[in-house]
Amino acid sequence: MKYQLLLPLLLVSLPFWSQVGINTLTPAAELDVQGSVKIDKKLYLENPGNSTQIRGSKLLIQKVDKEIIEYDINQSKYGPINYAQFIFRQTSTHGLQDYDTKINIEDYIVTLQGYYFTAQNNNTNVLLRSTIDENHIEGYQFYAYPNPATQTWFIRAFVNNSTFRSGTGYNENPVDIFLNIVIYRNGFIAKSLNTISVNMGQAETGTAPLPAGF
Amino acid sequence: MLKKTTLLLFTIFLSVALHSQVGIGTLTPETDLHIAGDLLVQEDFNIKPLPSVTQPDEDFKLVTRLTNSTPLGEIAILNVDSLTVAPINVINYEFTNIFRDNLSDVNLQYSAEKYVVGVANFRYVGDAIQKQDGTGGKTIGTFVLRTFVSNNQWHLEIKNRDLDLEDGKSVRYYVTLIVYDKSYYRNLPPIVTDLGGSNTGTASSIPDLY
Repeated sequence: MKYQLLLPLLLVSLPFWSQVGINTLTPAAELDVQGSVKIDKKLYLENPGNSTQIRGSKLLIQKVDKEIIEYDINQSKYGPINYAQFIFRQTSTHGLQDYDTKINIEDYIVTLQGYYFTAQNNNTNVLLRSTIDENHIEGYQFYAYPNPATQTWFIRAFVNNSTFRSGTGYNENPVDIFLNIVIYRNGFIAKSLNTISVNMGQAETGTAPLPAGF
Repeated sequence: MLKKTTLLLFTIFLSVALHSQVGIGTLTPETDLHIAGDLLVQEDFNIKPLPSVTQPDEDFKLVTRLTNSTPLGEIAILNVDSLTVAPINVINYEFTNIFRDNLSDVNLQYSAEKYVVGVANFRYVGDAIQKQDGTGGKTIGTFVLRTFVSNNQWHLEIKNRDLDLEDGKSVRYYVTLIVYDKSYYRNLPPIVTDLGGSNTGTASSIPDLY
């Protein structure tokens, strides 16, 4: 903080076109404050201009203590949206039955948005076979879910009643599973809504209810 | 805090201390300029330097500018919890009592003007579809999971397009829809590349992201 020993009045300069400087004698705008500003109520910016590019600008955020600061994803604890590839090597031939990510369910929303799997050493000669009937085309279940007991997100990645097979003779062998996990920070720009259940009434087409407000 | 001298300037109530703090509507400014009320800026608004977020910061909120306030341009905090629609909305769906394995067309009713709808966390829970004899051997058919736009609304298709679950068998589908608001999530035009029968390629155009 700069101390001025001049008369306090000098610190407020009011030329003909009424520019006001606080802590400056040469205001560069109608109001130029060389220091910090606190507004107890609302701030209106009638004509701040538009950003025409998505690069070269940063978001503004308000901290819990109400200070407005710049958001920098490289310095922040988390991004609004976070991506991580989860790689499971030497996974059981039955796939990934349950895995605790240790990511807490209150602060984050975890989603599985893509996957692939290979045999050892990135060998793509891998297949799945039903353990019930070789004519079965079994369904896939690759998903993240919140576990209320641990309050953390879990991941499952397997195929119903099936084993992964690879190598000579396509025997049951471990697989490497690669999952694209997208993690949203809850309450920043993302939120989760209640589950929507749709009874299709044995029809192929239908309409799902729209959540309120959409 | 130093003891302050106060004086009255024009018709506004300014308090100027030795270290030149100015208060508007307050005799005890806490910052260099302290406005105990609203502030309306009709032209440019510049702040420099602005501190940046640090590692311990958490639970901060996005600052936005309202384009429908009076006066125009109120700076407001995006409080996702009190909004009905957030920039990103994550919604679990479950479909039961499906005809065979076929969700041919479910109208999700989200406006394609306002939203982009993606899928995550798909689960097929129930009986398996049977392979069938096709030309040259058994076929597993074509299983499809996708959202698509029809009549300006988002729709969902989940089914094996070529094969059907047998009578008496059933399946339930679980899927998570990620509903993005278009004011935050841009839907770019499709990138179409004709590979002419090849299994490798180079993009025919790149998205304009600058």
